[in-house]
Parts: sequence; C-alpha cells; structure tokens
Amino acid sequence: MGEQTEGRPQIVGFACSFCTFKASEMAGSLRMKYPDGVRIVQVPCSSRVDPAFVIKSIFDGADAVFVAGCHPGDCHFIKGNYFTRRKMAALKEMLDAFSMKEKLRLFWVSAAEARRFVQKVTALYDGIKEAAHADAGKRN
Amino acid sequence: MKTGIFICHCGHNIKHTVDVRKVRDYFSAFPNVVVSSDYPFVCSEPGQEMIRESIEKEGLDRVVIASCTPSLHDELFKDVLRKSRLNPFLLRRVGIREHCSWVGDDVARNTEKAIRLIRAGLYSAAHYVPLEEKMVEVTKSALIVGGGVSGLSAALFLSNMGMRVYLVEKGPVLGGHVRTLKDIWPIRKDGAAVVGEMEAELRESENVEIFTSTTVTNFEGAFGNYRATLHTPEGDREITAGGCIVAIGFSPFDATAKPELAYGKDGRVMTTVDFEQRADSLSLPAKPRVAILHCIGSRDEQIGRPYCSRVCCINALRTAEAVRQRYENSYVECFYMDVRAHPRGGEEFFEETQEKGALFTRGNVAEIIPGPKGLLVRGEDTLLGETFEREFDLAVLSVGMSPPADSAAIASLMKITLDKDRFFLEAHVKLRPYDTAVKGIFIAGTCSGPKDMEEAINHGRASGVKLYGFLSAGFAAVDPFVAVVDIKRCSGCRMCERACVAKAIKFDEAARVVHVEEAACMGCGLCNSTCPSSSIGLRGYIDSALDDEIAALVEAV
Repeated sequence: MGEQTEGRPQIVGFACSFCTFKASEMAGSLRMKYPDGVRIVQVPCSSRVDPAFVIKSIFDGADAVFVAGCHPGDCHFIKGNYFTRRKMAALKEMLDAFSMKEKLRLFWVSAAEARRFVQKVTALYDGIKEAAHADAGKRN
Repeated sequence: MKTGIFICHCGHNIKHTVDVRKVRDYFSAFPNVVVSSDYPFVCSEPGQEMIRESIEKEGLDRVVIASCTPSLHDELFKDVLRKSRLNPFLLRRVGIREHCSWVGDDVARNTEKAIRLIRAGLYSAAHYVPLEEKMVEVTKSALIVGGGVSGLSAALFLSNMGMRVYLVEKGPVLGGHVRTLKDIWPIRKDGAAVVGEMEAELRESENVEIFTSTTVTNFEGAFGNYRATLHTPEGDREITAGGCIVAIGFSPFDATAKPELAYGKDGRVMTTVDFEQRADSLSLPAKPRVAILHCIGSRDEQIGRPYCSRVCCINALRTAEAVRQRYENSYVECFYMDVRAHPRGGEEFFEETQEKGALFTRGNVAEIIPGPKGLLVRGEDTLLGETFEREFDLAVLSVGMSPPADSAAIASLMKITLDKDRFFLEAHVKLRPYDTAVKGIFIAGTCSGPKDMEEAINHGRASGVKLYGFLSAGFAAVDPFVAVVDIKRCSGCRMCERACVAKAIKFDEAARVVHVEEAACMGCGLCNSTCPSSSIGLRGYIDSALDDEIAALVEAV
C-alpha cells in the first residue's frame, strides 16, 4: 500500500454491464456506502476480462482485484461467465504460486443485488486491510 | 488531441460530497485537456449548449462528461456530439454520482476518487476512434407474452398503431385474473365484461394473432429481429418479432403457506376471490359474524413477502361492504396492519365502509381454530396491547400478489433479470420503469411488482408506446461494439472461434486467419480475452484503452 493512500487498500473491480455494474448503479441510487478505495471498470461481459488485466492491476499497485458478473446461467451472452469462471480459476492457481491468491476475487452479483454488491466489496476491502495490518504487525 | 472535460454538479447530488472546483482545476492543468468546466446541470439545455460551443470553438476531438452513471442520458449526450459534427463514439461518460458522490461521505476522499475516475476515463478515451453507427432493419412486430389486462392494453395500442402483434396466453382464455372478478372497484363492473370489450376489439384487428393455451419455448436473436418458437395446441410455430413485452401477471398468494390460518383445511376460511364467487351459495346464519384479514402474504418477512401488494386493502373493503349489503344484521370485523386504500377515492371508500358498519381492529391474527360454534380467531390488538379471541362464522383472507410462477423460466429464456422478490426488474426504477436491461424487451403489469388494475393497464399501454417508439422507424441504431481482427497478427490458432458463443467467428482456410461476421457478433469480448496475441479486439473496449484505464485507477494522484 502506498503512503499516499494511508493504509487504505486500492481495489480495482471489473463489473459486467448487465448485472454487477447495474447492481453498483443501484447501490449508488440507494445511497449505500462502500469504501472509496473500490473503483470499478465497466466491461460488457465478465468474459471480456483478460487475465492480463488482473495481473496488470496488481503490478500497477492494486491491493486486490475483483471480477464480477451475472450468476451462472444468467449471462446475457449466454455462457460468457462460465469462461470467466474457468479463466479466473486458472489465474488463481498461478497467483497462488506467488502467494497472491488472496488478491483476486471472483463473485456473481445480479442486477437486483445492490446489497450483495456492497457486502462483497466491503468484505474484500476489510479483509485486505486486516491482512495488511497483521502483516505490518509481524514485521515490527 | 484536444479533450474537453465537463463536470456536472447534478444540483447538490455530486457537489455536496465532491469538490467539483478542485476537480475542474486539477484537469485544467492537464496535458491535452483544452476545456475543463463544471456546471450545475450538464444535461440541461444550457449545459448541452456549453458542450456544443466548446466543441465548435476549441475544436475538441474527445469529450469526457463526468456526471451520472453512463447508462443515463447517454443518447442525449451522443446527440450533442452529433449536432456538433463530432463522432458520438468519441464521448466518454464517467459516473461520479452513483459510483462516487452517493457512495461515500468524505469530501476529500470522494474528490480524490472522482479525479481518479475521470482520469481513467480520460486515458481510456485517448484510445477511442470514430466508429460508424450501425443501423439494422427492424421487424415492425411485437410478441406479447401474457393476455391479462396489461398485455391486452399493450396489444390494443400496438395494433391500433398498425403493428403486427402476436399475443400469447398460457391459459385457455384471455383476461387473466381480472376475468375472475365480479365487481371491480370503483367502476362496479364485471371483470369478464371489461376484458371482453378489450378482447372483442382486438379480435377485430387484422394485424393481431392471438394464441391461447400457448407457451414460448424458445427465444433468440437480437433487438429488431427476435425469433421465438410458440408451442401452440396446433403444433409449434416460429415467429419473428422486433420486440417483446412480458406481461405474465402474478400468482395469488397461496394461503396454505400460512397453515395457522386453516385455509384449505376448514371450508369456512376463504379468500376474497372465493367469497365473491361463492357468495350466493354460502349458507350463513341470518346474523353472520365475518372476520376479514388484511395483509395475507404481504408485508410479511417471515414468509418472504416483505412488500405491500397494493390491491388487497381495497379487496378487503369491497368484501366488507358486500357482506354488510347482503346481511343487514351481520357483524363484520376487519383485522388490519394499516389500511392502505391508496387509489383515488380509496380513502373515501374506507370511510364509507366504516359508516356502513364494518369494524376495524388493528392487529395481527395469530391463528384460526375450530371453536364450539364457529371459528375461533385469536390474535393481538396492537392498539390496545391486548390479546383477543373471538368467534366468527366465516373468515375471509385478503391475499396478496406473489411473483408469477413462470417468472424464473421466462427470465432465463429472455435473459432478463428478476428482483429480490422474483418479480421482473426494470432498467431503472424511476427513469426507465418499462424497460429491461435487454434492448427491445419490456415488462408490463403486475409481473414487475404489485399493481392495481388501473396501474397495470397504464403500465401495459406505456410499454406498448415505448416499444412502438423503438420500432416505428423500421430501422434502429445498434452499438458498433463488435470484434475486429488484426489479420497481420492473427496466427490462425482458432481459439477465439471455439470460444465464440454467437458463432460469429469464421476461419478463412485460404488465408489461415479468422474473420468476424459483424451481424452475428454480440459484443461480449470473450474472443478478445481468449486470444493469446490480442489480435482480435472488441471495439469500444480494446486492450490498450482498458490497460490505461486500470493504470489511471491505481497510480498516484
């Protein structure tokens, strides 16, 4: 975590236009709150997310990355999210080899689940923050 | 490159938690940014004029608008660019309201986030190229699923406007639940007569085809040219429709889900609809005691129905009135949580019913059990704070609306979304209440949440109007966000071809490269993320644009 963000994790999220991005819009309309470190990139479908984007986000300094799409079976593009699931599972194995598995999260949020969206991103944020805190404690 | 950035205050909506002036000043000093302005309402006429003027005076070639979420007002802003002779795909929208000012309270942090988001938009827009707007021919026909009042009113409107209409009803007759009602408040008409009038008018139109006892078994294609398979009693039938209106209504709440009320076990417990239909054949004493229970299957978290069904209070009042009219010496007691007689004239009707002698007790009924002479109704009077136990000859349940039994099946067939209560979800609760997230598919009536008859009819007609607006020109613009192949880099590994769900990628055996059939491409970008050499890219979401967007989101401000 950079000094500038004062121990606040920076999270890059990829959200599909048809489900998760819609849920994030609804979360905003309902004035739900979540940490400002969470920033969303809109993609047409979660399957647009190239594993390289996740790696780039981490290399550029993101403390965690989430990829979120429609629930399995609900994909607007019929089965894009099944491809996402396989790609991200493979990527997670790779990240695991570098002890960075926790930096990637994949979850499904439908357009109606604003609350679930907020819960998911807040839990991810808090988890990363706690882990960083514990890490810092070990080092001192 | 000359970029113009326009930051919207949205009245106080953005301004109250984002320091818009600081954001504006930050970008004024940015390389390649020629204009950085803030304005109270960028979407207003003067706001649009400001953008138009800047484009023309400064010769802008990129426009970044930081305002509400990109799905709102997108066409409006694209039009501003078109009118200024700038390609509309050089516009970048950044959502700093739904994704920034509304989700955080800290002004300093929100301002920083807004800067990051706008910068991400700016970096990404640098990669934008002018795109040609794609026009597709649309079929001037509509598939309407559901033949209740909302489906009928949508069908009537569309057929009057000269559109071809396919009206599909699962049951054997048209008219839905309204057909079963004997006395519709406040018009005091038989439901069958009301829907009969609508049906007769529809049957006279030559451009309407009505399918009863029919279900939709397959649904595919894209806006303007959906293809559906109808399973009719005479066999399967394929149709093509430009758009679709889903009006599959509701399922009445099944009161057996509340076993403590003895519905289905004791014949003296019935719903308001049962009462209306059986009123003549009931054998009640000359001075009957009737209990009427509001909110059965509504406003009840325990059974997963937290919402108000909107029609049941009026139904309960109607029943109370009917009992008082039939039996002069009857004792009628209504058990309510709140009386929500919301339609016009409803409050007066509530007063009248009280004047006619119906009693109202605020309280929840806990159970109905057989008593020595009649039915024993037990519960708590929440105004007095006391429990009660009274004997009645009849208990009438005013049941609410549950989501339609087919909602999940239709949702998965048409790829539209359900809300948490399993009704259909609209694209925007206030601004786009008839649209779904899928272009050309609309929802009408109670399948999108409880409505009374007047609301359902209006909702159906409005969805018809919206669909007509989409199809009336005979052609429509669709997003040109399709995949393109850089044939110089394509190695012909065919991984994208295997991944493509739409079967839009074809392999050219002679040249050993793939090409994309643009008409079939759905624009998901799966091929782009599958290609090992990124030689197939999704227009509007190309790798370099997203890469830079990511960089801007995390790098130091």
